[in-house]
Amino acid sequence: MDNETHNASQLLSPHNARNLFDSVDAFLFDCDGVIWKGDALIDGVPETLEMLRSKGKKLVFVTNNSTKSRRQYANKFRSLGITVTEDEIFSSSFAAAMFLKVNGFPREKKVYVLGEEGILEELELAGFTGIGGPFTFFHIVRLSCLLIGLRLSSISSLEDGTKTVQLKPNSLFEHDKSVGAVVVGLDQYVNYYKLQYGTLCIRENPGCLFIATNRDAVGHMTDLQEWPGAGCMVAAICGSTQKEPIVVGKPSTFMMDFLLQKFHISTSRMCMVGDRLDTDILFGQNAGCKTLLVFSGVTTQSTLQDPSNDIRPDYYTSKVSDVLNLLEF
Amino acid sequence: MLCKVASVSASTLFTPQTCPRFLSQISHSKTRFCHISNPLCRSARSIVRWNNSTGSATRMDTASAPSSLVARASAQPLKNADQLIDSVETFIFDCDGVIWKGDSLIDGVPQTLDMLRSKGKRLIFVTNNSTKSRKQYGKKFETLGLSVTEEEIFASSFAAAAYLKSIDFPKDKKVYVIGEDGILKELELAGFQYLGGPEDGGKKIELKPGFLMEHDENVGAVVVGFDRYFNYYKVQYGTLCIRENPGCLFIATNRDAVTHLTDAQEWAGGGSMVGALVGSCQREPLVVGKPSTFMMDYVAKEYVLEHLFSFSVLCDNIDVP
Repeated sequence: MDNETHNASQLLSPHNARNLFDSVDAFLFDCDGVIWKGDALIDGVPETLEMLRSKGKKLVFVTNNSTKSRRQYANKFRSLGITVTEDEIFSSSFAAAMFLKVNGFPREKKVYVLGEEGILEELELAGFTGIGGPFTFFHIVRLSCLLIGLRLSSISSLEDGTKTVQLKPNSLFEHDKSVGAVVVGLDQYVNYYKLQYGTLCIRENPGCLFIATNRDAVGHMTDLQEWPGAGCMVAAICGSTQKEPIVVGKPSTFMMDFLLQKFHISTSRMCMVGDRLDTDILFGQNAGCKTLLVFSGVTTQSTLQDPSNDIRPDYYTSKVSDVLNLLEF
Repeated sequence: MLCKVASVSASTLFTPQTCPRFLSQISHSKTRFCHISNPLCRSARSIVRWNNSTGSATRMDTASAPSSLVARASAQPLKNADQLIDSVETFIFDCDGVIWKGDSLIDGVPQTLDMLRSKGKRLIFVTNNSTKSRKQYGKKFETLGLSVTEEEIFASSFAAAAYLKSIDFPKDKKVYVIGEDGILKELELAGFQYLGGPEDGGKKIELKPGFLMEHDENVGAVVVGFDRYFNYYKVQYGTLCIRENPGCLFIATNRDAVTHLTDAQEWAGGGSMVGALVGSCQREPLVVGKPSTFMMDYVAKEYVLEHLFSFSVLCDNIDVP
């Protein structure tokens, strides 16, 4: 702890912004609610990131949103006019695949995905076989099943997202017995078919892992309002399996190990910038980083200052571009 | 409702293949009391009332809920069925996994029910399955050749409507339903307006810039139960109501993890849908189905069971007796 640490969070000011800037070699940014809201960039972000890079600071993007892979996120940044390389991005989709890798998950086992493309792509890149999710040839295998009434979409291959369930006597909802892990993340195509599939794998396949990319309750999936996050899908599976998942995204510090391997910077010389207390700020604190809360996302000043909140970021400010404005370079 | 619990696990009341895994005997006595309550919700009796001036539900009685003491002796195999039958006036049966599995009657059930009726026993059927109304369950019993009246059936769909009635939920407020037809039918019977239900299963959302989901600000309660038409639209609608409509209630018909909806296997139960809403709202629901005592209290009141009748509860789910 340095001499300037206070118990109360400090509003970012010209003075402490300078101190923060000088004491930090890498800035870790959350994305939803910090860099963008849905597909809309938050004002002043590109200029701020450019300034930080020009001053030699490392930039890392740590996001709990598992709907995209690192590659897809790099594309999103590019489409918004910001240059970010894949290896500067740590998404919870990547974290899930890495968790299986570092724990020696066998290649002959399958992974059932109750989530979107990002998870499937990262699993594939890591050499694992993912089934379920939005992209799969799964439905072809299942065509013969008595139980399932299929509506094949010609527009996109949202197979599991369009499957319905019929409850008939003497029919059996089959599931792949070689599934060794169920990965649950944000899934806007969630339905009962997927809930049942994931439930059966976890309950009936011996040793089947239950992995959550993250447990965020809500997020700004669009610019205008909050939407249920992965926390919703994860809690649905907790409800039917009565098991708790292994969480690979924030606030778990699992992703930090990968960051440290890449950047060789002490966590005390990193600053985590995020809009959520219970994921971003807690992640930063757990890892020994400095923390900066912004109000451009899900958290308001009154939430921060509410007596029921006991997570205190080192600093808080309204949005990322305040860093640029306060430093007056 | 106050009662003493001594539990005996079943072995021979039905045939060995069909006997329930858990049988508990609850006897009621004026002098010995213990209270069974759902740790997930306080007793719903007379604690919450709809406050017309604030337009929301408020707690009128802040007396602390009875402690969540669940007194269960270890279950023993049923050795003397005659003794149990003679000592008990009323039998309360769970349905899924006890009377039927899906649409298949479990062996020996009709004969057993006939035998109990012939001995003058009262039979009551209490189910957490909210997909049907009491009337629809009555039809199901009839289809399976069992004569059971609507008045003998208490489903969690009915419990949700009965709960709203018990707190004087205003008729000009609406109820958003994440669940099936049974809940809608019971709400209608009780005179409440509802939105949602199975038809929202066809609604899609697109997470695009400028897309805004509106919700009815007049929704005063969200009722969540088993829903095979579950989707993201419903989760968001329910979440918006609970989070943004002042005083909006969050009611769960039940939280069963799995349930026997077909004869062949278990299916993810209401606990899954309720879990999803808990995950997005970060709020616990008020549970009206088992193991909450709400339905039991209602049954006891309807049948005046506190007048020293003792009764047995037969069920297949240890967590949801």
